[in-house]
Amino acid sequence: MDSLIAKADAIRPLSKRRRTDNQHARPKPGPSKKTTADDPTAASVSQHTALPRSLRPSSPPPEEAKKYSHIHNKKLRTDLARQSAQNARSKRLVKDAELLLTEEAGLMEVDGDLEKTWRVGQDEIAAAAGQQAAQGRQEWKLDGGPYRVRYTKNGRHIAIVGKTGHVATFDWQAGTMHAELQLRETCRDITFLQDHSHFAVAQNKYVFIYDRDGVELHKLKSHIEPTRLEFLPYHWLLVSVGNAGYLKYQDTSTGQLVVEHRTKLGACHTMCQNPHNAVIHLGHQNGTVTLWTPNLPHPAVRLLAHLGPVASVSVDPSSAGRYMATAGQDGTVKVWDCRNWKGAIRTWNARGGNAVIDWSQKGALSVATGGSVNVYTKPAIQTPFAPVVAPPLYLTHPVPHRPLSSLRFCPFQDILTIGHSKGVSGILVPGVGEPNFDSSEADPFENKKARREREVKSLLDKIQPDAIVLDPDFIGSLAPPPKLSTAVDGQHDIPYARLPRHERLKVSGKADETEDGDEDDTSDGQGGEGDGQARKGASKAEKEKKKMRGKNKTLKRFLRKQRKNVIDPRAVAVRAKLEKEREERRKAKAIASGAEQPRKPSALDRFKRSS
Amino acid sequence: MVKINVLQHAPSSHLPARPGDPTPTSRNLDPLMHPFARARERTRALNAAKMERMFAKPFVASLEGHVDAVETMARKPDTLDIVASGSWDGGLILHDVSRRKRLFQVDNAHKGKVSGVCFGQQGRLLSCGVDRNIKLWDTEASLDDDDFGAGPSQRKPVSIFPGKFAFNSIDHHRYDPLFATASNLVQVWDETKSAAISNLTLPTSTETVTAIRFNLAEASVLASIGSDRSFTLYDIRTGKAERRIIMQMRSNALSWSPTFPTSVLLASEDHNLYTFDIRSLNTPTQIYKAHVAAVMSCDWSPTGLEFVSGGWDRTVRIWKEGRGSAPEVYHTKRMQRVMSTLFTGDSRFVLSGSDDGNVRVWKAHASDKLGIITARERAAIEYRESLKSRWKADSEVSKISRTRHLPKPVHKASQLKRTMLEAQRVKEERRRKHTRAGEHKPKAERKKVVITEHS
Repeated sequence: MDSLIAKADAIRPLSKRRRTDNQHARPKPGPSKKTTADDPTAASVSQHTALPRSLRPSSPPPEEAKKYSHIHNKKLRTDLARQSAQNARSKRLVKDAELLLTEEAGLMEVDGDLEKTWRVGQDEIAAAAGQQAAQGRQEWKLDGGPYRVRYTKNGRHIAIVGKTGHVATFDWQAGTMHAELQLRETCRDITFLQDHSHFAVAQNKYVFIYDRDGVELHKLKSHIEPTRLEFLPYHWLLVSVGNAGYLKYQDTSTGQLVVEHRTKLGACHTMCQNPHNAVIHLGHQNGTVTLWTPNLPHPAVRLLAHLGPVASVSVDPSSAGRYMATAGQDGTVKVWDCRNWKGAIRTWNARGGNAVIDWSQKGALSVATGGSVNVYTKPAIQTPFAPVVAPPLYLTHPVPHRPLSSLRFCPFQDILTIGHSKGVSGILVPGVGEPNFDSSEADPFENKKARREREVKSLLDKIQPDAIVLDPDFIGSLAPPPKLSTAVDGQHDIPYARLPRHERLKVSGKADETEDGDEDDTSDGQGGEGDGQARKGASKAEKEKKKMRGKNKTLKRFLRKQRKNVIDPRAVAVRAKLEKEREERRKAKAIASGAEQPRKPSALDRFKRSS
Repeated sequence: MVKINVLQHAPSSHLPARPGDPTPTSRNLDPLMHPFARARERTRALNAAKMERMFAKPFVASLEGHVDAVETMARKPDTLDIVASGSWDGGLILHDVSRRKRLFQVDNAHKGKVSGVCFGQQGRLLSCGVDRNIKLWDTEASLDDDDFGAGPSQRKPVSIFPGKFAFNSIDHHRYDPLFATASNLVQVWDETKSAAISNLTLPTSTETVTAIRFNLAEASVLASIGSDRSFTLYDIRTGKAERRIIMQMRSNALSWSPTFPTSVLLASEDHNLYTFDIRSLNTPTQIYKAHVAAVMSCDWSPTGLEFVSGGWDRTVRIWKEGRGSAPEVYHTKRMQRVMSTLFTGDSRFVLSGSDDGNVRVWKAHASDKLGIITARERAAIEYRESLKSRWKADSEVSKISRTRHLPKPVHKASQLKRTMLEAQRVKEERRRKHTRAGEHKPKAERKKVVITEHS
């Protein structure tokens, strides 16, 4: 039997056992703690069973890791702390991984203050660009009215739609046309769905979905007179807003109309999505901008942005959707901080009014007004600046074909594509495109097999529409600490749900405690001013008066008396604690006023029980 | 002078060099490039949890051959899948689990039920029964002739050890040719001698010993449980009972942990299982609560991280060591009271012998895939496992992986049990509130288990 116990002690001594019971039976940790070093079995085993140094729990966690000291459950706390340490370490590793980003971003630099980048014309840029990059400078002369443009997520394919019904989709790098359609009715917008294999067109009466070859697949009859379309790629939702002012979400993987919201703000001609939280931004005729999610029947944010109709809205993808730019028909362009809606960060007047705006992946803002396109770059447009002055111009390009109806930056390229009344033109804007793409998200060079694979994967990872909220990190974050607490001395004894009814009422502050008699005991003795007590007394009397009204007061009195007889250990503990605190305070006051001497330390103090 | 550089991607670095080459991939770990990373990961975790439940098909096979309840089972040491089972009809079968064959069969090994089987040395089988006999069988001889229906049913045992009382359990010493039996007293026998070499029992006890097991690390230590709610430890070298506890309810089965030498598992009549550390027998180290009727049998996995239990409630449950609730639960319509359970030697399968006379083979992990698993599949499985553990606090994920379908009687019984326990708790609490402070202290659940401890 002894040898058996010795064997077990070598693996895990009894004192190391999980803390379960009889605290007094076990030796207290302290200087007299018995070490296991004298146990020969343990010593012989420990040499061979040590963990490698890197795996030992003593390897210090990073400083930025959270401690979660407020969580009582030790197991959970350890888990969370380990997780946050892991996260902090992996964040550091991500920083190291930036070395592996090989592609070089575009740029345009001048030496000296006298030279300006905006003086550089497109011919000069195109001449300086490489052969591949110079392909982006294009002029497509097309009939059929102001054009709107849209790229796929990987920037490889482009879809254009003219006002009078000319629709074309093509791979602009390879120069191959996928589909060209003459729809012979008013078309207001176009968008690709998950990739270039499907696209949706907002036509005169309904939204239609076509496949890559231009074959009509679906007529979405529930979207009536649509004006703008958006596709949320991670939720597989096609969003449309129309002349009637209804915002509709259609799930393109199941075909169901998920929800429709009545905006009650009339016809809407401006819509954009925030790519980081999938919130839809709408600009309205009365100058308000509203933010919508599928699970709220009213806008999550409503904002009066302009003194006239809103002409264009765009969200900055380079700052995780933190900034929004709006342009109005009143001729101003405003940049907003989406975390704090108190006024615009920066406002300026765009000549000609009715501007169209778009943010690039790297955070350059392009504004098309009148007959020219202006591009502004990042730090200037996002720093708060009170005067109504345009930020320093990065690049400008005149387009003689008014109106300029659409602006799109091509993802992963330094190209800005402008849709106007005489067709579509592309200009080169160095330094606005993200140079390093991620093949798992969007790959301009993916082949057919990879595209199919990605389609299936993204369908499996489809996020439910309910999960769209303003803060995308909401999912997987910890619940806020509960407001109701039954804690005594920092220890949660009984959970709220298991408290008896009267206790529950007491904790939530709804209990009727007027005649408990413990009022004076439990109330804090600190606020002993005369007027305060008088007020309290008055309120007490008033309450008592109220209480006398109503029926069945004998029963109530009986119940109150019963309640008084119950000795509740929690209440007793609270009372004792308060009593002790009051005593301490009184002592401290007496010492401060000199009425009492502070207690001298005595040699017998070591035998005093610390409590 | 203007310095201009326009971004362009070289197709040569992003396209395969030759047809048939893998397409080069590029990575950008910037979180801005991966929107909704958390939401997508949660979706994946949810799918992983759903897939686990979808593929949870634990039942593998049923080994027939007995005509009455399977009372006892034993695994052959040093093999993964050879298992002996004894039945109430007196039948004794040696199963090859992986080939689902009977290697050896005796129809009337004992008169009345076979109450215990265990393997001796050189692959010999010991069985004891209520007919007051212990029989030693040689199974090796029949391993050569490979006929399915097993040989002649009138096999002769190698030797018979007559006893004075009906035997309840038998276990063999790990190294020596000794074995111990449990009847009204605990006896130690030598394989070569026809009478017991010693009787180990407390002088004052009048109990019936129901089960007996040798310790796996220290082979001379013997544990027994008895009908007088006792758990006793003996040392066969001293020939004395060393420790003894009396518990609130009697135990039905016991099993020593294969990895932690002093840990012992008891299956109790009060619907719970208890693990004890024999270094401190006053409280159990963990109480395992989920059965809704008496637990009839238990067995540790060879890894010592899991164990299986079978109960009077017609379910088999698989527990994680140290986790006292929410075990995996297996049941079928036709499975009756589970009298014996066993882990196989590779800890991948679980066997259960029940009242209906079948030995059923189950997977130890319900959604495991049997057969060859490719490296990619293995990686996907491991990724799903880590997703599930990372998102286990999410309410939907945990709900899916926690929920088990139970037969209606079991579900109703657990509801009723919960109600009764809750009522008891409330009553206790009220009683305490209405007595003088400090007079009536609540007692921890662990401390209620053991009544007295003798040593």
